[in-house]
Amino acid sequence: MIKTEKLTKIYPSGTQALDNLSIHVEEGEIFGFLGPNGAGKSTTIKILTTLSRPTSGYAWISGYNVQTEPNKVRCSIGYVAQETGVDYFLSGRENLVLQGRLYRMDSKTISRRVEELLELFDLKDSADALVSNYSGGMRRKLDIATALIHNPKILFLDEPTIGLDPHSRSSLWNFIRMLNKDLKVTLFLTTHYLDEADKLSNRIGILHKGSMKIVDTPEALKDSIKGDSITLSLNSGEKEKANSILKDNSIVKELLCEDGHVRVYVNNGSEAIPALMKLLTQHGIEILSLTISRPSLDDVYLKYSGVSFKEGDSSEGSNPWWAQWQKGGWGKKWKGEGKREGEKSEEKPWEKWNNKQEESWDKSKNQEEPWKKWQGKS
Amino acid sequence: MICLISDTWYLFNKYVRITLRMPMWALFTIIQPLIWLLIFGQLFKNMASLPGFPAGRYMDFFLPGAVIMTVLFGTSWSGVSLLREINFGTVEKMLVTPVSRISIVMSRVIHSAFTVIIQCLIIFIVALIFGVRVSGFSGMLLSLIVVFLLAVGFSGISNGLAIWIKREEPLVVMGNMMTLPLMFFSSAMVPKSFMPEWIRIITMVNPIDYAVEAIRVFYTGVVSSEAVFAGFAFLVLFALVSISWATEMFVNQSE
Ligand SMILES: Nc1ncnc2c1ncn2[C@@H]1O[C@H](COP(=O)(O)OP(=O)(O)OP(=O)(O)O)[C@@H](O)[C@H]1O
Ligand SMILES: [Mg+2]
Repeated sequence: MIKTEKLTKIYPSGTQALDNLSIHVEEGEIFGFLGPNGAGKSTTIKILTTLSRPTSGYAWISGYNVQTEPNKVRCSIGYVAQETGVDYFLSGRENLVLQGRLYRMDSKTISRRVEELLELFDLKDSADALVSNYSGGMRRKLDIATALIHNPKILFLDEPTIGLDPHSRSSLWNFIRMLNKDLKVTLFLTTHYLDEADKLSNRIGILHKGSMKIVDTPEALKDSIKGDSITLSLNSGEKEKANSILKDNSIVKELLCEDGHVRVYVNNGSEAIPALMKLLTQHGIEILSLTISRPSLDDVYLKYSGVSFKEGDSSEGSNPWWAQWQKGGWGKKWKGEGKREGEKSEEKPWEKWNNKQEESWDKSKNQEEPWKKWQGKS
Repeated sequence: MICLISDTWYLFNKYVRITLRMPMWALFTIIQPLIWLLIFGQLFKNMASLPGFPAGRYMDFFLPGAVIMTVLFGTSWSGVSLLREINFGTVEKMLVTPVSRISIVMSRVIHSAFTVIIQCLIIFIVALIFGVRVSGFSGMLLSLIVVFLLAVGFSGISNGLAIWIKREEPLVVMGNMMTLPLMFFSSAMVPKSFMPEWIRIITMVNPIDYAVEAIRVFYTGVVSSEAVFAGFAFLVLFALVSISWATEMFVNQSE
């Protein structure tokens, strides 16, 4: 569906934005494209949407070469830019109609699509107001609507949720899922919100300095960073005892005692928990509470984008990542990371990681959403 | 070809709509040339009595000048608004569609020429009210064609420069720097017989001078003369060259 081969882009200023980039996105996928500022994400999207020419290399969309058959490519894709491109001096409806005209659709189809999209994006009430009177979120929605006017099979979204409030953000997520599921649109999106990439994407690619560091499913990426941490809260007297029991167990990779907790590092947290609980209860140790934290996408991102969160550690993955952990002591590292991430806490109640529950949590949260229509579908 | 025309038409429509939504702007662009016509008409009133000056009042003489000023100032905005559209991402939104690249430039240029024509029409009407002798309808129509060609030419230059310079401020400065001397190097304000030799030579390659002369000839009624025909050809060439240059710049830049 989307394919690039050894794509290289050197801007006239001499900046090398892309370096032999090869990507393959399948039909029906949601592909999350991550990378630090200046990694070349927007450049890639611009080449794929025929807005920019590669210095060398090839790219195909739906089998059409972006350089030799640009109009065929343009008709099969929609593009939502990093900055909204809707015209402020036209109304929402006029923007949609004009975009339809530019795609050379006939008047009938345009007016049908415009009504559908206004309905879908809940913009009916303000359809005839000038866009300059819209809020940022409304502009964003209109921007996405105009990109969908011609029913594209592929949609490129460059940081689509930037500047949206949490509500609009999660409705947009639902909408993106709906597009993908019901309308079978292949999505290629870039974002700086890792939770967003994690929740939405089927596969994630991490770009750094113009080349792809890794491509895989969010789960596999997180699994690639070995070790879940399980924090056990115990009665104060039983810490030493637990320590000695767990120390020699084969599941346990590392063990750490802090304050009232015992922190256990294992390969696979969800498999380890039942065994651990069984083991401790057998020895008469009562577990007051238990928390599991999984390596989040943040960890993966930091690893592959070569940004180390501990000062002085700027080695770009020359040795295995977790080796650095062990050097500095695991606990230290995890703590440091927690600080760095601020409120995006590493540790989440383990229920949160249960996908189904999380989804329903999302849904109940969205009950009052303007974009209710998608809820049934997503 | 049909696509080119319809693409241009829809985009032209958009620009007209936007212009109409700025009533104050529309009002002032109409008032401005009238002010020039009246002020300059008064300021240089006594010049008309100088020996060697063509017969008639100075205002009669200056009418083409007011028209040309309108064209120059009216079209120099075209490039500025193109830059604004580029910065707002509006142009990018056009470029992801199969819309003809040529019509993006064409629609802007034609819109700009169109607003200038309306301004000039109003100038003509006011001039009539003030008693400027206009030979007839056909002369006026031919004058408007000249205005159109000149406006297309200068709007093309403004758009091309905009893409070349990429910043609004230098573009505006450059526009002013270009338009005023071009005005003075033409017979818009002063008859040719009053000019030093070197300026008279410059006027021969100045499209504004051809336009001024043509309009002057048209509204005084002498329609068929070889000089006018040559001037017309020169203006057509000027418009074509400028619009191709602007399109070329735009297409190159957008790739
Ligand atoms: N038009 C341009 N001219 C010259 N250099 C450019 C241009 N656009 C981007 N670059 C450079 O190319 C590199 C990649 O930029 P790009 O916009 O693709 O990054 P990005 O991954 O989208 O970043 P961000 O997350 O900040 O949006 C950067 O170093 C940038 O400075
Ligand atoms: Mg970007």
